[in-house]
Amino acid sequence: MTPWAINPIDRFVRAKLEANGLSPSPPADRRTLIRRVTFDLIGMPPMPADTDSFVSDPRPDDAAYAALVDRLLESPHYGERWARHWLDVIRFGESQGFERDKLRPNSWPFRDWVIEALNRDMPYDEFVRLQIAGDVMRPDDPAAVIATGFLVAGAYDEVGQTQQSAAMKAVVRQDELEDLVGVTSQTFLGLTAHCARCHDHKFDPITQVDYYRFVAALDGVRHGERESSSGVARAESQTTAANQHSSREPVDARGSERLAELKRQLIALDEPVRERVLAARKAEARPRPAPPQPIARWDFDDNLADSIGSLHGTAHGAARLEDGRLVLDGRDSFVATAPLANDLKEKTLEVWGSLASLDQRGGAAISVETLDGNTFDAIVFGEREAGQWMAGSNGFVRTQSFSGPREPVADKLMHVAIVYYADGTITGYRDGKLYGTAYRSAGLQSFSAAKAHVVFGLRHLPVGGNKLLAGAIDRAQLYDRALSADEIAASAGVLGDSVSEDAIIAELSPELRSRRNKLVLELSRLETAERLRAGRVCYAVLPKQPEPTRVLDRGDTRRPKEVVAAGGIAACEANAASLKSDFGLPPDAPEAERRVKLAEWITDPRNPLTARVIANRLWHYHFGVGIVDTPNDFGWNGGRPSHAELLDWLAAELMEPVESRELKVDGEKQHNSASGDSGLQPSTLNPQPFRFRLKHLHRLIVTSATYRQSSRSSTAAAKLDAGNRLLWRKSPQRLDAETLRDTILAVAGELNPTMGGPGFQDFRTHTNNSQFYDPIDPIGYSFARRSIYRTWVRSGTNPLLDVFDCPDPSTTTPRRALTTTPLQALALLNDSFLLRMADRFAERLGGEEATDVGKQIDRAHELAFARHATPEELAAAQRFVAENSLAAYCRVLLNSNEFLYVD
Amino acid sequence: MPNSKVLTPLLDRRQFFSWVRTGLGGATVLSLLGRDGLVRADTTLSEADDAPPHHAPRATRAIHIYLCGGLSHVDSFDYKPELVKYHGKPLEGDEKPDVFFGKVGLLHKNIWEFKQRGESGLWVSELFPNLACVADELTVIRSMFAETSNHTPATFQANTGFRLNGFPVMGSWLSYGLGSECDNLPSFVVLPDPRGVPAGGSINWSQGFLPARHQGVSLKTQGPAINNLFPARPITARTEVASRDLLAEINRRHLEERDGSDELAARIKSYELAARMQLSVPEVSDLASETAATHQLYGIDDAATADAGRQCLLARRLLERGVRFVQIFSGGAFSSPRINWDGHEDVQANHTQEAGRIDKPVAGLLRDLRQRGMLDDTLVIFSTEFGRTPFTQSDAGTLGKGRDHNQYGFSVWLAGAGLRHGLAYGATDEFGLKAVEDRMDWYDFHATILHLLGIHHERLTFYHNGIRRRLTNVHGRVVRELLT
Repeated sequence: MTPWAINPIDRFVRAKLEANGLSPSPPADRRTLIRRVTFDLIGMPPMPADTDSFVSDPRPDDAAYAALVDRLLESPHYGERWARHWLDVIRFGESQGFERDKLRPNSWPFRDWVIEALNRDMPYDEFVRLQIAGDVMRPDDPAAVIATGFLVAGAYDEVGQTQQSAAMKAVVRQDELEDLVGVTSQTFLGLTAHCARCHDHKFDPITQVDYYRFVAALDGVRHGERESSSGVARAESQTTAANQHSSREPVDARGSERLAELKRQLIALDEPVRERVLAARKAEARPRPAPPQPIARWDFDDNLADSIGSLHGTAHGAARLEDGRLVLDGRDSFVATAPLANDLKEKTLEVWGSLASLDQRGGAAISVETLDGNTFDAIVFGEREAGQWMAGSNGFVRTQSFSGPREPVADKLMHVAIVYYADGTITGYRDGKLYGTAYRSAGLQSFSAAKAHVVFGLRHLPVGGNKLLAGAIDRAQLYDRALSADEIAASAGVLGDSVSEDAIIAELSPELRSRRNKLVLELSRLETAERLRAGRVCYAVLPKQPEPTRVLDRGDTRRPKEVVAAGGIAACEANAASLKSDFGLPPDAPEAERRVKLAEWITDPRNPLTARVIANRLWHYHFGVGIVDTPNDFGWNGGRPSHAELLDWLAAELMEPVESRELKVDGEKQHNSASGDSGLQPSTLNPQPFRFRLKHLHRLIVTSATYRQSSRSSTAAAKLDAGNRLLWRKSPQRLDAETLRDTILAVAGELNPTMGGPGFQDFRTHTNNSQFYDPIDPIGYSFARRSIYRTWVRSGTNPLLDVFDCPDPSTTTPRRALTTTPLQALALLNDSFLLRMADRFAERLGGEEATDVGKQIDRAHELAFARHATPEELAAAQRFVAENSLAAYCRVLLNSNEFLYVD
Repeated sequence: MPNSKVLTPLLDRRQFFSWVRTGLGGATVLSLLGRDGLVRADTTLSEADDAPPHHAPRATRAIHIYLCGGLSHVDSFDYKPELVKYHGKPLEGDEKPDVFFGKVGLLHKNIWEFKQRGESGLWVSELFPNLACVADELTVIRSMFAETSNHTPATFQANTGFRLNGFPVMGSWLSYGLGSECDNLPSFVVLPDPRGVPAGGSINWSQGFLPARHQGVSLKTQGPAINNLFPARPITARTEVASRDLLAEINRRHLEERDGSDELAARIKSYELAARMQLSVPEVSDLASETAATHQLYGIDDAATADAGRQCLLARRLLERGVRFVQIFSGGAFSSPRINWDGHEDVQANHTQEAGRIDKPVAGLLRDLRQRGMLDDTLVIFSTEFGRTPFTQSDAGTLGKGRDHNQYGFSVWLAGAGLRHGLAYGATDEFGLKAVEDRMDWYDFHATILHLLGIHHERLTFYHNGIRRRLTNVHGRVVRELLT
């Protein structure tokens, strides 16, 4: 072995390089390496402390690096990163697609299962079997039922499946099966079996009969929601419970103890902060900047005057004052004030009042409108959604649903406020608390002095229609700025004892925040595991015994031919005479048996494709290009392998590991110590602990000299192999869409590390026959989670992720396109999320490095690039910050090539 | 605006400041570009292996008007005198038509009167009185056939050739195959109906498995035209300029240390393109710069037609500046009340509403393209996912007001370069139920469109999961009978 070669991978690569007159590049330095391998394994940047400790690790490179790799492979973020790759391949979406695109609110447990299975390094063969037939192989195991979410991850044509015409329904079903067969055969076998639906495969040895045998194996698959724990629940209610539990109870007990301990710690951390916040509020309650100062205030005690400014009101229609309230009849009564004395841009509207009825649809409590009524911003009740408040506007141009709760009772005094920010963000409050969710509208509406006024009880002029409010207004205030949540609460006089998670986090020191994040991470992971163990409703396979499957002449449902039994692809027998593609089942075999046989056939070590396909996928994600550069297609049309022997070796090593490792005892401990994981452990004890373990392959790949090469180009080598197929260097990679977003959150110090559970929704949704999703940029801790936890609806993709090549979740994506477009530049320069994060990034630097601008800039470089700023950079940056702002500097860093590319 | 495809220096300062309303000022953009006010568009090349043109193109660009929901052909372009004769009678025959809602009522005559129009004598009904006046520009296909009568799969097929989610739409194929005449505007632009996007939203302009740059970019005809064109919160011009300068400097240094990687250089260039887009998008969207006569021609001066008028006029302006393909949607998703052509309950009421919105603007577009000479190398496509039944959607033996989906025969039309104008091609049976003469599938339709654009439909391919995928799957025939 030459010094360059660290493990057998390098021998294969070296041999090819030499045969082509090329030589490998020198190793990358430690800073480059930690940034590379951290992004690669966990999809996030190294934090400065990690970088420092690796760079200064006194051990030799190999040992220091091996320790780093082990730490990363044990990070729960590893599962989040690699689950995203898997979800791409299996085109996982959380809505039906097609016309209705109905949300699947219970599909997320499958995402959690994938993350947790990868984190625990579930043997790959088991990982595959459970996704195809977990529900029948381990019916009493909720996690195994959840695993079958794979079979129903694709779109579902609800309209097509429920239409009147039986003939057309049959076509829809065949289309659905083609999609399922295609994804299953591509995902696990790298075979494009779906190409044989109408005729024998044009290029690969897959016959039309093969295709229909594969269809037969999956013909019982139907979409649906089911209770994943039903098997367990039944068993536990009977006396056999003890048996069921014997193997996992101790683990569970340890897990729940740890869970309780973490909860205690979190409370212990939060409690003093909560008390501090409450105490501060009490102290502030009176004098402090006290309730914020409005520019106009109407008390409606015995007149319509503005007690602060000049916006005195005039009553119209039947509007009258009664018991210190302005009473409005909902028919023609309203109050209009004198025109604005000054221009109004950012603003806050605030009223105390009550509704005469809950079924009214469109009256406004308060509205700022141009004198002609053509343009307005108003607090409107019930117009679009019965019983709910909304920010009314001309032509709804700034109106989206807050999705707040419906008002429960009429004639009850309440406080309602809407805040309009300069960036177009609109936030609603009721009784001093956030009402539903804030959203970003098309833009802030300004109102000019003398050309606009305020009206009460009317949405906008002219009077009529549904624009009038029936109710009473006790008091109202207008502000010429956007109030903060605390100011609203102060004004509403509801400073109760509830303190939001956002408010607590805002109070934490960087150290405490980091400690809290660690607690949240571990706690949420245990809770996720517990949910998987206990089971719940999930979107999974809901099998139905099919009629015997027939070959269809030219794929035409009207031309059925012979009956076929479930089976695999016959051509796979060629290399493994003893693995039969015939499952030995009759055509009317129970569908459960068919899927079990298919799962066993795919994962049989004699199947020549399965291990190669997954080994190639890992290689693809580590190097940007697979050994076979078409990871879903190992057939004739696919790419030729660049290192065929290496791929064979990797596949063999995956199935029958022989390569020595310096013991990953830690990794093994992790498997056993994690709590309550019966659903995620193999059913039988694995005699070979590294058999089919993906982390073993990861470790071999990333510790190889091949992977650790510098990424610097060489003109001579580029001449011979411009595409770097022979790996004379490590190709630089651009962050993918999700990694980019996650990294921005992490660098800004805003990332919420909560794992698992229902996804966050960065869209508004409403249903009118079909379900619609309008993208928004929601603000707050609960939305600042990693992108894998967003709800992946098919027609509601995220525009920011979209422009960075996030794939359409309706189609299997074995490798992502990587494009460079001006729309990406516009998004990173101008998007509200990015600008907000640049601000947070700057605030974070301010918090961590006090007032030393030089240190702040250096820290920014460490966070964004994993290196210190050079003296020249520092000088230029200091000039820039002095003339502009630290936030502007952060925006530039987040746009830079160095930030987006990994060497 | 003169009839030139490439936008040359146009930065009249007064005009310029009126484009950029908020946020980044025009002067900022100018200094970002660091040049003398020249906004020059470059072309981007085809990404296809076997790059078109495969033969001399007849058209270089296209506007596609897509009617969501299903236009009734027997009430618009397919005149069936027998329907008048058998009005109120049951459809004869043994076979009960297989329709979406399963209800086969009595035959219903054409709701609008048909007349022969222009010199060609093409039959067009009074549903489209303005289009009728430009009948001599149209090439009507009356024998279309769809594989499904389910809206969304049918729409997918009309636009992608496949019934499933996840395939690239025609506009994406063209962007991929032909590249773009301008790099300061997207090559494939979508103009949704202001009342709402079609069912599935952006799925309808998805690039499927093609690279993401070929996704349709949705432009609004009012308000900010595209997302993120300017900063979400105000940034001073000084800071903006300083930021972009600093960014360029940081990136330049980074590039130098990496021996000038193409990818990194392309990313640097993308910021320059972004700045150009900040100029070109507001400029192209500025419909106010057009004359009052043009506004009138497109019906922008009338509330009833203003929405579609803006779509059509913006489409022309985009094409003039080098955009390859503009898709205009007439109609949104399936909701209540109806905002598309899906006239199940009452075709007369529904189609009156929908045709009233687009008839004048689309006719105006054809006239305008003709008078500007653009129709010589522009293709206009007017299509829908399927037609409607000649019998009403009502219980057997009753005469209702609505018509159900009809996949077996329906009409679409083309106009512009390379086509035989005033032609009616193919025919349905005596009642308009099924295409019986020269039946044309979507594959043939797509093959013919690609042909007009200089593309051999079997040669425009993209490898995906085992197959070199095509817009026409494994089918397709160029229907030469339509061509001059």
